[in-house]
Amino acid sequence: MPVPARYYDGVTAQARDVGLLLETEGDVAFLLVVEGEALVPITRWPVKALTMVSSRPDELRLRGRGLPEGARLVVRGAAAIARMKANLPVLERRQRRETRQQVGLAALATLALAAVIFAYLYGVPLLAGRIVTLVPPDWERGLGGTVATQMEASLEAPVILCDPAPESLANQALARFGATVLEGSNSPFAIDIRVIHAPVANAFAMPGGRVYVFSALLDQAQSQDEFAGVLAHEVGHVAYRHGMEQLIASAGTGALIGFILGDMTGVSIAAGLGSTVIDSRFSREAEREADAFAAQAAHRLGFDPVGLANLLDRVGGDDALTRALALFSTHPLTEERKAALERLADGRPLDLPPPFTPAEWQAITSMCGSSAS
Amino acid sequence: MVMQRGPERPVPVVFTGSRRELVGLLLRGYALLIPTIGLYRFWLTTWTRRFYWSNTVIDGDALEYTGQASQLLVGFLMALAVFIPLYGLFFYLSTQSTEAAIVGYSLVAVGIWFLIGYAIYRARDFRLSRTLWRGIRCDQTGDPWAYAARRFGWSLLMLATAGLAYPFMAVSLWRYRYAHSWFGTRRFGFTGSWRLLAAQYYITYVMAVIIGAIGLGIGAAMGAFPTTGVANPWAYVPLAIAALLIGILMLRYQARELSRMFSCVRLGTAALTVTIRARSLLHQYLRFGLALIVAATGLAIGGFVVLSAVAPEAFANGSFDLQLFLQHMQGSFETLLAIVAGYLLILGGLNLTRELFLSLAFWKLVANGARITDIDSLDSVGARPEDKSLGGEGLADALNVGAY
Repeated sequence: MPVPARYYDGVTAQARDVGLLLETEGDVAFLLVVEGEALVPITRWPVKALTMVSSRPDELRLRGRGLPEGARLVVRGAAAIARMKANLPVLERRQRRETRQQVGLAALATLALAAVIFAYLYGVPLLAGRIVTLVPPDWERGLGGTVATQMEASLEAPVILCDPAPESLANQALARFGATVLEGSNSPFAIDIRVIHAPVANAFAMPGGRVYVFSALLDQAQSQDEFAGVLAHEVGHVAYRHGMEQLIASAGTGALIGFILGDMTGVSIAAGLGSTVIDSRFSREAEREADAFAAQAAHRLGFDPVGLANLLDRVGGDDALTRALALFSTHPLTEERKAALERLADGRPLDLPPPFTPAEWQAITSMCGSSAS
Repeated sequence: MVMQRGPERPVPVVFTGSRRELVGLLLRGYALLIPTIGLYRFWLTTWTRRFYWSNTVIDGDALEYTGQASQLLVGFLMALAVFIPLYGLFFYLSTQSTEAAIVGYSLVAVGIWFLIGYAIYRARDFRLSRTLWRGIRCDQTGDPWAYAARRFGWSLLMLATAGLAYPFMAVSLWRYRYAHSWFGTRRFGFTGSWRLLAAQYYITYVMAVIIGAIGLGIGAAMGAFPTTGVANPWAYVPLAIAALLIGILMLRYQARELSRMFSCVRLGTAALTVTIRARSLLHQYLRFGLALIVAATGLAIGGFVVLSAVAPEAFANGSFDLQLFLQHMQGSFETLLAIVAGYLLILGGLNLTRELFLSLAFWKLVANGARITDIDSLDSVGARPEDKSLGGEGLADALNVGAY
């Protein structure tokens, strides 16, 4: 009794209702395709060449190696399928092998991707410093100018220097401090510290050597140690060329995240979230480097780098929200930085004169006018 | 089953898939996306297509999708070759002055808009050339760049004419696609012209403009856009009604366009007729909206239950205390995990809803509304030589344009 099936020969679009019979000739088994009441043989497929093609559950589709690309035998209905599978156990064995191959391919691809992610996360902090030295300093200076223009445009009020005279006591003291801290770092840049009127307590370094200090931060500084710490930290960003480094790293992160999510346009929330987590990790690394740089400078200049952490704590310490979102934060937790700075400050010479003379410090603290009151 | 034969016998297309089967397939796929860092998406797409194709039965014989997940993976890797230089360009632009960056980004956006046309055509080629019916493979010829240029030119014209060029664009693109589509050795054809769409399109256009203007007028009179002070919330009601009416009008138009355009597809003397009722399309979107509401409610309740189990005090006084809650998130790693898990659940829920109530529903609507006349004329179609292209539809995948 043949198993009823549909037969497509893969040469013309004619479908034929056929029956399937198993036949052996010597050692070789064949699937004999017969048609009509008289069971007229049309063709026969060697069992060795048969493979199952995935289809819906109530259909069994067979193709054969060495036959036309579209040639198929289709068996329908649970009973007929069960008969086929019972007669040809090799089919399910081959299907399982096929599944194993697919699983292997998926696993291999996943491993490769995991290796790329791992190499990226641990390689970028190591490599970024090297890559950055390939960027011409002039280009970075130009970029710093662009960033500064964008930053100034984003502030609500126009940017006003606290003390526009470059040769004033305060500005000269700041310039001398910046140059001394940068000394010995082989940096191609010159430090240009600009104290400007702004109500937010903040300070940052631009690519190319310009450092902005907002007057509100200067107001909150209670000692030379605190202010010198922050300045030395910003100089550290310049020395390590962190701005440039992060620009390169975030471009790479965008590409990687796009690759993982398969959305190269990178506009989805997932892409944004992923890049933020990775980029902030690199940024925290940079902050730690700049802190260490400031602590190193404190070994040459007489200030206590822990003051840096004290000032940060006053400006905005860790609250529950910062703690919970620490992995999204561009800065390490302040208490963590303080502990690190205390370790690094250990053994610094305590007999050095302070970085600014009393007259200079007086001039600096009063340069924005507000702290005189 | 005895098939009666005759020249004028119209043959229905039948879709046999069940929603439950698709849900199982999708949930399994979503679960496997996590350990494979998203790479399983190529397998998930392949399985989903197999489901759609193998359940679409024409004259007693189902379609077969012969594409492999590995082909999609390779295609995606090839698309990366296009995108990595683009990333370099983005990086360079981000370091330029604001004006230069804006000009640069705009140019890149235009370039991507052009590339999307190329990607759509290549993706269609991939799907067609991996579609088998009665042992004969479909295919698409034609130049994807030519199609991209056509689509790009028409989209500029659409902008310039505020959408009035649409009937001409739609017919031109449909004709290009079908004139270059093949079933084995037989070429598809498209008999439609712009006259088919024009009347309906322009009537819908004018009505939408009038309704929109009336809605805006009443809304503005009621104080929806005050120059000073707070807007009157009731003034948004006429705006919402106008938007709803325009939406219904557009669905009505969409149903007619799809019916008429599909019904212009020919394959030799065999002809396709598709009837899609506006009512069915409307019901489909209503069901999708309802399903979205159910999914969102389910997710919100689930989230609330989990969060209140983690931090019961934060919800103690009937309101949510963020500070108290955050103290419960012991470390930052848990927070990240919670955000990622929540995000994945929401994304999964939305995707599942969309696939079930939009993609599947639409496929069923078209398939069950389709009839084919003179299908016996296809008996004499021969097979095409094998398609050796390995490419996959990488660019389409990378540009997020793939449907089904």
